[in-house]
Amino acid sequence: MRQTSGIKAEEREFFQRFGLQFRVQHTLLFLSTITLIVTGVPLWCMGRPEYSWSQAVVNTFGSIETMRYIHRAGAAVLILVSIYHLFYTVFTKEGRREFIELLPRQKDVRDVTINSLYFLGLLKYRPSFGRYTYYEKFDYWAVYWGCVIMIGTGLVLWFPEVAAKYVPWFTYALGAEVHADEAILAALSLFIWHFYNVHFNPSRFPGTLVWWHGKMSREEMIHDHVLEYYKKVLAQTKSKGQKADPQSGTTM
Amino acid sequence: MAEPPPATGAGANPDRILWSEQRIGSTLKKETVATVGWILAFFTSIYAQEGQELLGDRSDGSRATPLHLIPLYAESKDAEKGEQIEPDGEFVTPFSTRWTCAECHSYGLVKKGWHFNSVDSNVPPGRPGEPWLYFAPKLCIQIPLSYRQWPGTFRPAQVGLTEFQFTRIFGRHTPGGGPGEVQATEADEIGRQFVSGTLEINCLACHNAHHGQDMGGPGGYAVQVSRQNFRWAAAASCEFASVKGSAAAVPETYDPFLPDPDEKNAPRVTYQKEAFNENKEVLLQIVREVPNQRCYYCHSDLCYSQPEKAEKWASDEDIHLTAGLKCVDCHRNGVEHNIVRGYAEESANSSNPLAATSSCEGCHLSEGEDQPQAGRLGAPVPKHTGLPPSHLKKLTCTACHSGPWPGKKTILTKTSRAHRLGTPNVNKAQEVLPHIVSPVFARQGGQPQAQLGDSLAGKIGPHKVIWPAYWGILEDDQVKPIALGVVEKVVGKVFADLELPATGDWPKITKEKIIEALKALSPAAAGEAVYVAGGKLYRLDGSGELAEELDHPAAAPYMWPIAHNVRPAAQSLGARRCEDCHSPEASFFFGKVCVDSPVQTKDGVFREMMDMYEVDGPVYVRVNWFFKLLIIGVMTLLILHILGDLYRRVMLLLAKRAK
Repeated sequence: MRQTSGIKAEEREFFQRFGLQFRVQHTLLFLSTITLIVTGVPLWCMGRPEYSWSQAVVNTFGSIETMRYIHRAGAAVLILVSIYHLFYTVFTKEGRREFIELLPRQKDVRDVTINSLYFLGLLKYRPSFGRYTYYEKFDYWAVYWGCVIMIGTGLVLWFPEVAAKYVPWFTYALGAEVHADEAILAALSLFIWHFYNVHFNPSRFPGTLVWWHGKMSREEMIHDHVLEYYKKVLAQTKSKGQKADPQSGTTM
Repeated sequence: MAEPPPATGAGANPDRILWSEQRIGSTLKKETVATVGWILAFFTSIYAQEGQELLGDRSDGSRATPLHLIPLYAESKDAEKGEQIEPDGEFVTPFSTRWTCAECHSYGLVKKGWHFNSVDSNVPPGRPGEPWLYFAPKLCIQIPLSYRQWPGTFRPAQVGLTEFQFTRIFGRHTPGGGPGEVQATEADEIGRQFVSGTLEINCLACHNAHHGQDMGGPGGYAVQVSRQNFRWAAAASCEFASVKGSAAAVPETYDPFLPDPDEKNAPRVTYQKEAFNENKEVLLQIVREVPNQRCYYCHSDLCYSQPEKAEKWASDEDIHLTAGLKCVDCHRNGVEHNIVRGYAEESANSSNPLAATSSCEGCHLSEGEDQPQAGRLGAPVPKHTGLPPSHLKKLTCTACHSGPWPGKKTILTKTSRAHRLGTPNVNKAQEVLPHIVSPVFARQGGQPQAQLGDSLAGKIGPHKVIWPAYWGILEDDQVKPIALGVVEKVVGKVFADLELPATGDWPKITKEKIIEALKALSPAAAGEAVYVAGGKLYRLDGSGELAEELDHPAAAPYMWPIAHNVRPAAQSLGARRCEDCHSPEASFFFGKVCVDSPVQTKDGVFREMMDMYEVDGPVYVRVNWFFKLLIIGVMTLLILHILGDLYRRVMLLLAKRAK
């Protein structure tokens, strides 16, 4: 958790950053994804002599059939949450707003450049981020792409005879290959990239609970989403008819 | 004296055989019979020359098998019709099927048949079939040969085999004719062929229904062929004659038409006298429809899918046979003997009017014509419920319905022709050469990618496969096999100390031995000598070391489709579930194709089944590569980002401490 200059948690000011629907979707997403990875990797390794350990994992689950059922249950949850997200995006005000905020902009390209120069020590200041940083947007769109590919190829593997009617060029073998490749990419991104940003990053270690309560402290807001912070303060000021004091994050 | 009605022409009595029957019991003198025979022969030869049909060329419509109580005739010294056979004569000669049967059946027409026309370059080769496999373990050779233009096979002449030599090696599993009747032109073979005779079409090999027809017995057809007793082979195969001696054992100056009683090794035929009636006629058990047992002699195979099923009695037979059909119910022909091979596109290559409707589809699927074709011979019309139509477009019927059930690895398979099955002293070891592996799913109609080029449009079906191993000369990136005589002389000397396993398996050669052999071969063959084995081409590089070239077209495996045994529908691939093919363990995609090679370091090499037929080729490869590169590219950028972030944090920390 970010250092808060000796301020006790209960004294710190928090901003509600994510609503309940958003958090439910995220929770279902990570639960299903981890289930799919835990069951999917041994399924992929089964029958390959160099991965004999996978048999031990299968034994833990009872049988390969049980593991397949769990994997498909995880897949069903992922599909449902994806559909849920589509409805959320289209039919809720919050969903539409979040979607628009997540769209890539020119500023993101500028932010990447500035941040890269900052990493190299060529600039002293980090870019000022809005509601979503470019790497958070990347996370979102990577999951979007990943879901399309994983669900698409997964359905080909799950229902090959149906898939062959509509996408005959997309063979089962190719589906299996792409499914495995995309899963590797998703797992690596999740455990290396995403976990670094939300867990292992020295500013966040051992992790943030934003995913749970949806709240972010003023310090974190200023550090990572300063433009959103200003926006929120300004909005609060306007609503109360007071002068804003961005430094304190409070209204006067 | 009863004059024989003419066999053909205006006023001909179409049933001369009945006339023969009437003659049983008559007391014609031998001279009379001979005279009648000559008259018949005269008319026959005239009509035959004029292309007139003979008595047996066309059926009169009767389903009954015609009686074949007939005189037997020998071949004369000048290769014409000779004397009638007299079993108790002073000099007994083997009867000639050609001159005996040609009395009523146009030999020239029969010769056009698929079994006999391989040497005719005008005959379309059709779908690749089983080649003749020449193998020499001591020389580390197994090479597919064929007179037909099947891609991947070599003409026997390319490896230095004359028709005479080819016949002596492979004639054992032919019904005669073809190369067996080609006149020798090599000086040293002309004399030998005068002694041995030609291997004329042995009508009895297929049409003799007698259980005494001996093709593979100790004194039967195959043994006579190996003894160069070509002229005697047909007689030796039938139930009422036996042959002793060997044409190969007598000098080429020996005259078989003026036999020397002192030449003990000379071939001699003996007839069972009781087989001849008083008119010196023999009752042959000739049948129009060839019995399955006759086909099996040349068309059997043995798959080592499961050790307990290696015995024939333990394995099931083709479902069509179980249902009561015979081989010839589908593989039909008329007097031209242009037999239906039975593949889907055959009508494009065959003049047989039944070619289009005697394939799997011909009997089982309707094409919506005026007459109902589907369901012929009681064939059930498949519903293929739940099967996506793309399967029928991309797969042959045999892919799911024929051949041994595919396992995780291909299995060694023997065939009659390749392994001399049904002949004396066959090595029954599983590992015996030549090494044919099956089932391999590959594009129908040719060889894999390397040789097919753009014609990958063929359906995928099961195949038998052989990985050629031979010594050749590399010219303009083309490999020409070196004549076997040269290889035997040069490589045989280099490999003299190789130990041959009792199983008949490869002796296993080292790379050093290959280098030694290639260095010895190059000057002898006047070119850059190379060795092809296990899908690789071995050649010497500039420094004299051995270089390997993978997937050279000359090293591509030769494949031919599996048609039988057809399994019952319930035992078809996919009948239980899609996972029969669509699962990570499924052999159809992920089975291991054994790459056979005598080269020691390459023992146990396999290729994935998919490599043999390319799944939607370029699309598959491109998509596959895209995702591989995506993983590498994205993860590289993300890790760089993380490292950049950490680097900056460390730098800031150090700067802070320095202050």
